[in-house]
Amino acid sequence: MQTLIEQVAQGARLDECRAQSALFRLLARTLEYEVDEAFLSHLRNDLLEALAEAGAELPEDMLSGPSDALFEKLAVEYTALFVQPGAISPYASVFETGSMFQEQCDRAARWYQENGFVFKHRYSGEFPDHVGTMLSFVAALFEREAQALEAGEEGNAEEIRQSRERFLIEELGSWAPGWAKLAAQAAQHPFYERMLGLVERVLWDELTQVVPPRRMRELTEKNSRGPTVIKKDPGFRKASGL
Amino acid sequence: MNKHFPMSRRGFLKLGGSTAAVASALGASRLEAMEQELGGKDFSPVTGKLREAVPYTCLVCNIEDGGIAYVEDGRIVKLEGNPDHPGNRGKLCAKGNSGFLHTYDPDRIMTPLLRTGKRGEGKWKRISYDEATTMLAAKLREVIDRSVKANDPAIRNEIVFKWGRNRTGGAIQRLMGAMGSSAMVGHTNICESSKKIGLEPSWGPDIESADFQNTKYALIFGGNVTETAYFHNPNAQRLVDGVVGNKAKLVYFDPRHANTAKIADEWFAPYPGTDGAVALAMANVIMNEKLYDDAFIRTWTNVTPEQLTAHLKSYTPEFAEAESGIAAKDIRRIAREFATTKPATTFSYRGPCKHVYGSYQEAAIHMLNVITGNVEKKGGYCLPRGMGYGQPGPKPAGGKAASILGAPPTYPLAGHQVSTHMPYQLMKGDAKCSVLMTYYDNGAYTYPSSHVWEALLKDEKLIPFYCSFSPYMSENAELADLIIPDTTYLERWDPESMPSDLRPWLGIRQPVIKPLGNTQEWRMTAIQVAAKLDPDGSLGIKQYLNFKDGEEWVRAQFDGIPGLKEDGGFDYLKKNGVWPKYGKIDPVTGQIVDKNGDEVPADYGLHMKELSAAAMEGTTVEANGAIKKGGKTVGVRINGKNHAGFGTGSGKIEIYKEGWKKYGFNPMPVYKRLPSRDKKADELVLITFKVNVHTQSRTASVKYLAELYHKNPAWINPKTAAAKGIADGDLIRVTSTVGYIVTRAHVTEGIHPDVVAISTACGHNSYGRLAQLKMKEKPADYMLGGDADIDNNVWWDDKGVHPNPIIKLSVDPIGGSQGWYDTVVTVSKAQPTDKYGDVKASVEASMKDYEETLRLAYTGDLHKANHKEVDIDWAHLPELKAGGGH
Repeated sequence: MQTLIEQVAQGARLDECRAQSALFRLLARTLEYEVDEAFLSHLRNDLLEALAEAGAELPEDMLSGPSDALFEKLAVEYTALFVQPGAISPYASVFETGSMFQEQCDRAARWYQENGFVFKHRYSGEFPDHVGTMLSFVAALFEREAQALEAGEEGNAEEIRQSRERFLIEELGSWAPGWAKLAAQAAQHPFYERMLGLVERVLWDELTQVVPPRRMRELTEKNSRGPTVIKKDPGFRKASGL
Repeated sequence: MNKHFPMSRRGFLKLGGSTAAVASALGASRLEAMEQELGGKDFSPVTGKLREAVPYTCLVCNIEDGGIAYVEDGRIVKLEGNPDHPGNRGKLCAKGNSGFLHTYDPDRIMTPLLRTGKRGEGKWKRISYDEATTMLAAKLREVIDRSVKANDPAIRNEIVFKWGRNRTGGAIQRLMGAMGSSAMVGHTNICESSKKIGLEPSWGPDIESADFQNTKYALIFGGNVTETAYFHNPNAQRLVDGVVGNKAKLVYFDPRHANTAKIADEWFAPYPGTDGAVALAMANVIMNEKLYDDAFIRTWTNVTPEQLTAHLKSYTPEFAEAESGIAAKDIRRIAREFATTKPATTFSYRGPCKHVYGSYQEAAIHMLNVITGNVEKKGGYCLPRGMGYGQPGPKPAGGKAASILGAPPTYPLAGHQVSTHMPYQLMKGDAKCSVLMTYYDNGAYTYPSSHVWEALLKDEKLIPFYCSFSPYMSENAELADLIIPDTTYLERWDPESMPSDLRPWLGIRQPVIKPLGNTQEWRMTAIQVAAKLDPDGSLGIKQYLNFKDGEEWVRAQFDGIPGLKEDGGFDYLKKNGVWPKYGKIDPVTGQIVDKNGDEVPADYGLHMKELSAAAMEGTTVEANGAIKKGGKTVGVRINGKNHAGFGTGSGKIEIYKEGWKKYGFNPMPVYKRLPSRDKKADELVLITFKVNVHTQSRTASVKYLAELYHKNPAWINPKTAAAKGIADGDLIRVTSTVGYIVTRAHVTEGIHPDVVAISTACGHNSYGRLAQLKMKEKPADYMLGGDADIDNNVWWDDKGVHPNPIIKLSVDPIGGSQGWYDTVVTVSKAQPTDKYGDVKASVEASMKDYEETLRLAYTGDLHKANHKEVDIDWAHLPELKAGGGH
């Protein structure tokens, strides 16, 4: 029998899990695919204020007006940032080894599989260690934790929490915030610049919650890796290979 | 003294010392070094698990070595040579070993990209393969519909396909043939086409198989065998076998001291473009001193020794010395050695043939083997052995209208096209292009005056739609409208055969892993495009590409190969990679041996083989002995015997080429002094060269290779440098009539004083992070585990400077080959405002070069002046006819 305090705490944790799940889902959606009509509509309406409050205010050109040109502009920016040669490759394998589809990819796929997920690509050239997919996995674990809490399965919820934290530390903690910082610096559209900034802050915030201070120093150092030169000119971006 | 043992450490050591003397007699331990295994299997160093081994055929360069890919968890972790492969005999070169990095290159294009900004602006959006193939099909359909509506097949030639390294086994030609377009432009004229044209009319095939392994004397002209030349890895092994194992003498001619010079007994640096004069002078000596093989010349060629002696009269060693700078006494001595040492062989590659009139030079070198009777002898100069594989039926008839693009009728003998002329033809309005497709092609980097290709591809009027199939963002791909990326060679199907050994073989290229990230090989793209272009089959296109996938297509290509089916057919090739299996590699000698340990011999004297009665059925024998069937020569009758002969019209070696004379060229091998030979004293001849760890243009982004070689300073002789006030490492400006580049000097004795040499493979403006070097990886210490060797992985900050923009377009009017080594330049210390890597090149100047080189063609005004000795009716040369080349 839970005490009232325990019930309140569990309720707060449930709310937090739900909120975190939604937040990570938003960040994942931003990184996994280009902005489409449905996503833009959410950004313009349901999320407008919350984004602004979180420091990722929706840029002027996304607030209103015809969408086709905007989608095109954002798709081009998305491709330049995350897809084409010279992109800030969103794959853990590339960040850690300089090559695509390495062990990091297997590890991510194993995590998904062990938790009952299958990685499915929409376009060619997508791998399980895509940062957006990894964030969506964190979102899914938050959601499962919430469901377990709701069902009163405290032990199960605890297991999921530990799993999520381990995934966050082991698979994202050493590179993803640093990657997001670099990507934000290279972004040439404020939407991606701000959302990537948000990714960095959210990840650091979450890591701070789960990582002991001594380990945080190591993670900070690891995340400071990256190219010493980043220029915003198109010639640099063309195939700079960040 | 140890309390547990009554013996001191010293005592132990004494026992050890005594045992050492008899250790080998104690017998083998159960432990054996892994390296003692021959290869063919590999284990994970972490789990010890046997790795999956998948045979494949390499395609980093074009020699097509056999390899085995080791796969762990669906990932290629290692490549090594296939020990069953007769060509490379279990060994891969550095490029081949690094090949899997192409697959996992972080700058690989993994999804179709559609251009959204201006051409070359770098703005793309990703689309699916389905969307991309639909788009390309619509563009092609527009041209075909116009052709149907106007009932004009020539309109289909507006569909243009330009390729570089095409090892699809005829798949591209099949697609183009199905669409009815003849506008296919290969790349061979920037490769070695004048070598091919020097050889084909002489004896049939386009290259020689020099039997280095069994030779006693090798004479190599401009072919850096140990590093790069044709059959690189296989020939390098065999040359070392010959020089070291068989104690052969090696004499090497190259203006640059390449690595082959290092293993040579003698190295000579001729003036560029004068190898032919040296070869002719050697032939002169051999003929005059009666060192020739009288019987062979009389029996197997279309000339007599007397005719040859008369023809060669003016090519004295003294003449050759004046042209080449090689001392007449050395020419005489080497000629005598070559003619009297048996067996002997020459080998030549781009050095002699990549000049205006390079075909003559190649023919002259070939002749040395003929007059000394070394043709088809063990240790001699042999015909190449390959195996054929066709396209499956039904086969498309091909385009009904000839295309002049890349095959100008002004070059009727250039059987391997004149692809360098394509942009000029389009710019001048001589041909039209509506849809351009490119495969393994990067003209904006690899061609002479490469800036002209860039200008062409940027011009949306001349090239309204450009689709690249490149998996890398090359200089060309950057200018495409649509990129539908192919896979890398380790993820696709192709049939292969290459005469890299005297024992012929057939190989397979198969996906060693599934195409990475669901990318798709070009064959699938072609199949899908054809299905969308002709959905109901009414255009008659779809039927020719009605394959389920690449595997089914290639399987059909291997069906019907005599003998293969009996050994297991296509599945045998999938399992073994190469067919047939001649034997096993001897781990000590590296040779392929049979069960008894004896080397599996090659077959020699192919021209002597007698035709069977069945083969003679339906043949006729002409007065000159040529045995004809269906209009083709299938053999030659000599002294009443029907021999296979050579692949010429007469069945004999045709030193005298009637076909050349018809167009006003000299039918005999001659030497033509080039304008570069008459350069001013302070000018230099610019030559380029390939290095052993890179291809011309596709490997600058491969980590292992980029680390080994990434900058290409200009080689310049110390005397020349001193005269110009240039010191090693100085910033210099190299200027031709096309423009200039700013690079650095590498002052070395290893280069002719009149020559400046700059390698290819460097100085990319595209092709990924390592090729461009716009950033440098700098991993943190924790990643490195304290290993200083890999600290700061990319430690270099120099990507080199590419010489192609300032190299003049200049084409051999016979073979159609680019004269890569005919550009005259000035070299000076850089000017105060010059920066390393500056490149300035003029399209206008290159257009003038185009007009100038056309003057040398058989229709040009300089042709007769350069061939006064040819006795023909100059007023009635054959008329222009489109559709040459193959």
